[in-house]
Amino acid sequence: MGQISFMSLIELHNITKIYRVGSQKVVALKNLSLVFERGDFAVLAGPSGSGKTTALNMIGGLDRPTSGQVLVNDLDLGKANLKRLADFRLHNIGFIFQSYNLIPVLTAAENAEFTLMLQKTPRHQRRERVLSLFADLGISGLEDRLPKDLSGGQQQRVAIARAIAANPRVILADEPTANLDSNTAEDLLSLMRQLNNSHGTTFVFSSHDDKVIRRAKRIIRLEDGLMVSDNSQNL
Amino acid sequence: MEKVSLAWRNLWRNRRRTIITLAAISFSIMLVQAFHNLSFGVYESMVDSGVRAGSGHIAIYHTGYLNTRDETLSFPVASLPEVIEQIPGVVQALPRIYLPALAQTSRESRGVVLIGVEPKKERLTNPFLQNLSDQSMIRKSNSRDAIIGQRLLQELQIKPGQKFVVTAQHRDGSLHSELLRVRGIINTGMKDIDSSLILIGSQRAAMLSGHIGNVHELAIVLKSAWLDRQVFPEIAKRLVNHPNVEAVNWEQAMPNLANAIKLDYASQKFIFLIILLIVTIGVINTMLMSVMERMREFGVILALGSTPVKLGGLILLEALILGCIAALLGSFLGCLATWYLATVGIDLETFMPETLEFGGVVFDTVLRANWDIAWMAQIAIYVIGLTVFAALYPAVKAGRISPMEGMRHT
Repeated sequence: MGQISFMSLIELHNITKIYRVGSQKVVALKNLSLVFERGDFAVLAGPSGSGKTTALNMIGGLDRPTSGQVLVNDLDLGKANLKRLADFRLHNIGFIFQSYNLIPVLTAAENAEFTLMLQKTPRHQRRERVLSLFADLGISGLEDRLPKDLSGGQQQRVAIARAIAANPRVILADEPTANLDSNTAEDLLSLMRQLNNSHGTTFVFSSHDDKVIRRAKRIIRLEDGLMVSDNSQNL
Repeated sequence: MEKVSLAWRNLWRNRRRTIITLAAISFSIMLVQAFHNLSFGVYESMVDSGVRAGSGHIAIYHTGYLNTRDETLSFPVASLPEVIEQIPGVVQALPRIYLPALAQTSRESRGVVLIGVEPKKERLTNPFLQNLSDQSMIRKSNSRDAIIGQRLLQELQIKPGQKFVVTAQHRDGSLHSELLRVRGIINTGMKDIDSSLILIGSQRAAMLSGHIGNVHELAIVLKSAWLDRQVFPEIAKRLVNHPNVEAVNWEQAMPNLANAIKLDYASQKFIFLIILLIVTIGVINTMLMSVMERMREFGVILALGSTPVKLGGLILLEALILGCIAALLGSFLGCLATWYLATVGIDLETFMPETLEFGGVVFDTVLRANWDIAWMAQIAIYVIGLTVFAALYPAVKAGRISPMEGMRHT
C-alpha cells in the first residue's frame, strides 16, 4: 500500500472511547470531534486522565473508538483490518513516546532505521538517511551506541530520528518532554517546530506542561474526555 | 539478514537463561544420540553373535521346517553352499542338520539337540567354536567326535575323551544309534543350550538320520547385517530351481532375538520421547518468558508498523537459531560420547559377573556403540523442528497482542 495523501484532513467524528476496568466502565473520550489540517502543530493539553493519549492512539490507529469515526484521508481506521492498520502506521505515522521505547538490543542508528527496515528500504539508503538525521539532530557519533549508553535527551532524539526517518505525514508525540530536563525539552520543541516549518510535517502531541503548551500553534484542551477549547495562536 | 541479526541479539538478552536452555537441549540431544548409538552397537553385536552361533543373517529351509521343526523336512544341498558363497557380500554358507535325540551314558540319559555341522567352516564363524583349542575340535565330518554343552557333560556324568551313545529317529522311521566320543566342551552361558547341545560332523549326523546329501538349514553369514536386503533377492534368484525351499532373514529365523531387540528399542524410544518432551517444555518456557518480558517492546514494534505475522516470525526465527545452535552443540557432544562408547565402551563385567544373555543370545559384557550418522542427523533436525514447534505458542501470543496492550505492559 502506498502513502495516503493528507491533502485535506485527519477527522475525528464524535469519538467516544469506553474502557472496561474490571466490572467498571471508564469513559476516556466523550463525543470528541476534531479536524487536523496538513502542517498543524497542535497540542492536546489537559491533566492526567483527560483523554490526551487516547485521542492520539485513535489518530495513530493504535486503538479503535467505541463509537464514532476516525477518518484519515477517507480511510476509516475503525474499520480497517490489522494488516491495513499496520501498513497505514508504517507509511504515514511517526510515533514519539514519553519513555522513548527504543529497542534495547539495537544500536541508536539501527533503532532510527527500524521503520525504514520494515519498509524494506535498501540498507545503504537507510544508513545515509539516518546519518543525515543524526547530524541534524545533533547526535552524530552516537550511531553505534546502545540505548542504555545514551542520556534521556539523546534517547529522545534517536526516537525522533526513528519517527521522522520514513518521512511520515503525521508525527504523534505522547508527552515527548515529560522525562527531559527543561533545557533539553526546550531544544526538542525547537527541533519539532523546525521540522514542522521546513518539511510541513503535521505534529500532534500531548502535554500537561504549560511551557510546552505555549510553544504550540494550536492548543486543544481536554478535560474528562471532553474538548473544552480549541485555540490557535500566532508564534 | 537483519532479522537474523535481531533474532540473534534478542536470544542473548538474557544470557544465563539462553545458556541454560541451550545446555538442556544440547545435553538431551547428546543423551539421545549416544544412547541410540550404544543400543545400535549392542544390537548389532547381539545380531552378529546370534547369527554366527545361530541361523546366519539369512537362512534357507525346506518350506514348513521353520514353523514345525519336523526333522523329515530336509532339502538336498548339493552345490548350493558354493553357489551362494559366490554372491558378493556373503562370507559363508553353513549346512546344518538338526536332530532331536537321546544321549545316554552308563549312568544317565538326556534329551538333546544334535547338530551336524561342517566343523572347519563352522569354526570360522561360530564364536563358541573359535574359543576351543584344535585338540577339542571335531576332526572330520564323518568322525565320531562330539562337542557337547558343559551342563550336559555334567548331567551325563562323563568327561572329555569318554564315550556315549546317541539315539535318533532315522528317516525311514526306525531308531538308529551312534557311539560318540567327547572331544570338546562348549559353554555358551545359556542354560538351555549348555544342557542340550551336541555338535557332531554333518556326515556322521546324515548317516545317523538317513539325510544323506540333505540338510535342515543352510545358514548364510554376510559381511554386514545391513547387506541382507541386497543379498536376499540374489539368493532368491538362485533358489528358483529348488522347489519347496525358502529363504528367510534372521528376524524370521530368530524371532526371539528380533522381538527382544524390538521391545528393548521400543522402551528406549519411550525414554527418548520423554527426554524430548522435557526439552519441548523447556523451550516453551524459555520462549514464553522471553516473550512476556518483551510485551512492551512488541507493542512498540507493532505501533511502528510491523505486522503480527512478522512479529511472530521473529520469535520463530529466535527459536530456529536456538534449535540450530543446540543441534550443532548437542551433535558435537553426541559425537564425543559416541566416540568414547565406541572405543572404550561400558564394561558390565564388574557389575554383572554372569554371562549376559538377551533374546536367547549371549553377548560381550563390554557394551560398545556403533555410529549411526544418519540417525544422529535425523534427531538433530527433529530437535530443531521441535524447538520451532515449541515456539509456536509464544509466537502466536506475541502476534495476538494489540500495540496498546503491549505498550501498557510493565
